[in-house]
Amino acid sequence: MASSTFSSPFHLHRLTPTSPSTPKTRTKLNLRHTSTPTLLRATLSDPLVLQIAETLEDSISTLSSSSSPTLQKLRDTSSESLLTMSWPTRKDEQFRFTDTSFIKHSQIHPVSNPIPTSKSDLVALSADTQFPNLLIVDGVIVNCLSPFGGLPGGVFVGPLSSVSSEVISKRVLEFVSEFHDGDLFWSLNGVGAPEVTVVYVPEGCRVEESLYLRFYSSENGDVGSNYLPMSNPRVLVVVEKGGEIGIVEEYLSGDEDKCYWTNSAMEISIGEGGKVSHSYIQQQSVNAAHIKWTYVRQESSSTYEHVEVSTGGKLGRHNLHVQQVGPDTVTEMSTFHLCVHDQTQDLHSKLVLDHPRGSSKQLHKCIVAHSSGQAVFDGNVKVNRYAQKTDAGQLTRSLLLEPRATVNVKPNLQIIADDVKCSHGASISDLEEDQIFYFSARGIDSNTARRALILSFGAEVIARLPSDSLRKQVQNHIKGLLNPASK
Amino acid sequence: MAASLLQTPFSLSCLSNLPSNSLIFTNSTLLSLHLPSRTTTRPNRLSLKANVSLTNNSPLTTTSTSGLSDNEKGKVLLEVKDLTAVIAESKQQILKGVNLVVREGEVHAIMGKNGSGKSTFSKVLVGHPDYEVTGGSVMFKGENLLEMAPEERSLAGLFMSFQSPVEIPGVSNISFLQMAVNARREKLGLPPFDTLQFYGFLSPKLAAVKMDAGFLDRNVNEGFSGGEKKRNEILQLAVLGADMAILDEIDSGLDVDALQDVAQAVVGLLTPTNSVLMVTHYQRLLDYINPKYVHIMEDGIIVKTGDISIAKQLEEGGYKSISPA
Repeated sequence: MASSTFSSPFHLHRLTPTSPSTPKTRTKLNLRHTSTPTLLRATLSDPLVLQIAETLEDSISTLSSSSSPTLQKLRDTSSESLLTMSWPTRKDEQFRFTDTSFIKHSQIHPVSNPIPTSKSDLVALSADTQFPNLLIVDGVIVNCLSPFGGLPGGVFVGPLSSVSSEVISKRVLEFVSEFHDGDLFWSLNGVGAPEVTVVYVPEGCRVEESLYLRFYSSENGDVGSNYLPMSNPRVLVVVEKGGEIGIVEEYLSGDEDKCYWTNSAMEISIGEGGKVSHSYIQQQSVNAAHIKWTYVRQESSSTYEHVEVSTGGKLGRHNLHVQQVGPDTVTEMSTFHLCVHDQTQDLHSKLVLDHPRGSSKQLHKCIVAHSSGQAVFDGNVKVNRYAQKTDAGQLTRSLLLEPRATVNVKPNLQIIADDVKCSHGASISDLEEDQIFYFSARGIDSNTARRALILSFGAEVIARLPSDSLRKQVQNHIKGLLNPASK
Repeated sequence: MAASLLQTPFSLSCLSNLPSNSLIFTNSTLLSLHLPSRTTTRPNRLSLKANVSLTNNSPLTTTSTSGLSDNEKGKVLLEVKDLTAVIAESKQQILKGVNLVVREGEVHAIMGKNGSGKSTFSKVLVGHPDYEVTGGSVMFKGENLLEMAPEERSLAGLFMSFQSPVEIPGVSNISFLQMAVNARREKLGLPPFDTLQFYGFLSPKLAAVKMDAGFLDRNVNEGFSGGEKKRNEILQLAVLGADMAILDEIDSGLDVDALQDVAQAVVGLLTPTNSVLMVTHYQRLLDYINPKYVHIMEDGIIVKTGDISIAKQLEEGGYKSISPA
């Protein structure tokens, strides 16, 4: 956004003679006076942000009449933080390589009809898995009636509004919106989330089957219409001491080339000795904006395993923040990004270690197979003073398959403790000629060889997905992207 | 190819090699004698014709009276003439005029010191991109091999086992073989095998080279020992089949037992019509797979051709004992 409006002088020069006062500036001025209650607010705030926040608030108030104290807390803290936030530009370090201007320049509308009109096709979507699953459309659970036969007693999966247990309500209130280092999009989600999907695993309870959370956007704009419906799904996962669960978070495409903006957030709190295996599959429309926050809080001896495979969206941005709140934690993060279109895949991860003997492994792999495709990785591991005996490893590998394809990677370790073992590495390359030749020496043409090698590049990450069916599904999706003809 | 055929002075110059390469060079000499008169008009077609006449005709005449001796020897499968090649990057010349004829059913061995060009020769034959052919011609089954892409050469029936095959993490052996077999089936106009059908096709081949099925699920060459890599190459040969197999140092890095296993697997694959070209340093491989001809390569050319006896001579007296005549 910065690039198109400020940093390109040509643009400005061309604009000034024809339109002396740009409409954008006027809008901003108008907003400042009309839509904000006090002048003080206006000087600190970004009018665009306030405008979006207000439309979100309006949409929420028409939606849900009864709002729980938990939701209220979430909305209050979120809107408060919004007051000092502005839309990110490429001058902001966190968005240095990621252009969010197409979202900014669209007409952003909160989804108006969160209960889908045609339920039938959505039920079909939820039916094709044998695992317990929730279908979440525009942030609202639509199949809460589906039997959770696979879940042990004491486990709760459903909307915040239907939490009846006082224990769970108390814990949810404790953890919802506990994270304060989020950005604009985190706060916008807090304001606009129509409800919070709660997953609660009581002490010592191990959930055998993975829980599927499937996200879907029902409202969308046509390409070129500039209309961008925005949804704000939010999930809170609380796993008590010794509890275990696997969560598969899937973002489905819907109509292939429609425009929509999914601004999603998930908070995960893992109690002592607990374990969460979190798979995140992002396959949204090639014209969608997908911005996602994952905040994880790890108590002592807990394990968090994260596997991400992102292939969709015009912009896919994942902010993954893991905070260690006790010693002896295990954190594994694996990511595979694939850009086959004119798209950006971005992972900003931050792991903060404040206690001894944490161990973490991070693997980031990305392929950019389009000349205007881009992958961004900023992986920060912060080893603070008391985090002695930390063992942290970080590796990023990128494949650039087209001329002008871009990758910006910044693996970085900030180490204050003095007795730690940390490593990081980065490599950027094309496919190995030797490998392609090996295929052709066996009669396999180079296109097939390249496809196989691309798949094999991601296989290391895909292999870490928890189930065979999920691995197959992801692999087939990627095969389809690499070879559209065979679809 | 056109270029190579127009280089008549070079091809004629190979006449001077005649005494040392007596057995093989009768044919290539003849060819080079025929060609100059014909190449002037349509070199591409003529080279094919020249080759056909070579394979069918008696070496002594240009007419079509077939010679019995030639039929006994079998059809010419591979014919390399005055092949010169450089390293693509540095332009350093490695091959300086290699001449070789391999007929159906023949086993040949190329021996030579390190750096003599024997491995380069096998890589050039399969079209390795690290090398650039600068002159000469290679005909395989009557077609100009040098005009074919590497995958076309493979599909035409030429196979090379790699000296040190590359690791391909993330691609399993079985899916690699399946891709290769299906590429062949596509070329033949046959429907591709699905995984189940392919397994049925593969099982007997696996048994033939005494390999266990666990091999199939491993990634191609990833973490393989030296012996496993060589065996895997031979498995590929067994599965894909080949009219002509070039075995580039399949004996290097193998202990005696492993060598015996690999050699036996190769012998098991020999038929009266397919041919083998072994590239090796040592005679011991030749104890298992008996070559009809042994060629000694030195500084980019074949300096001597004979039977197994020169390999023995080499073993006893080293390369010095073999005078390039």
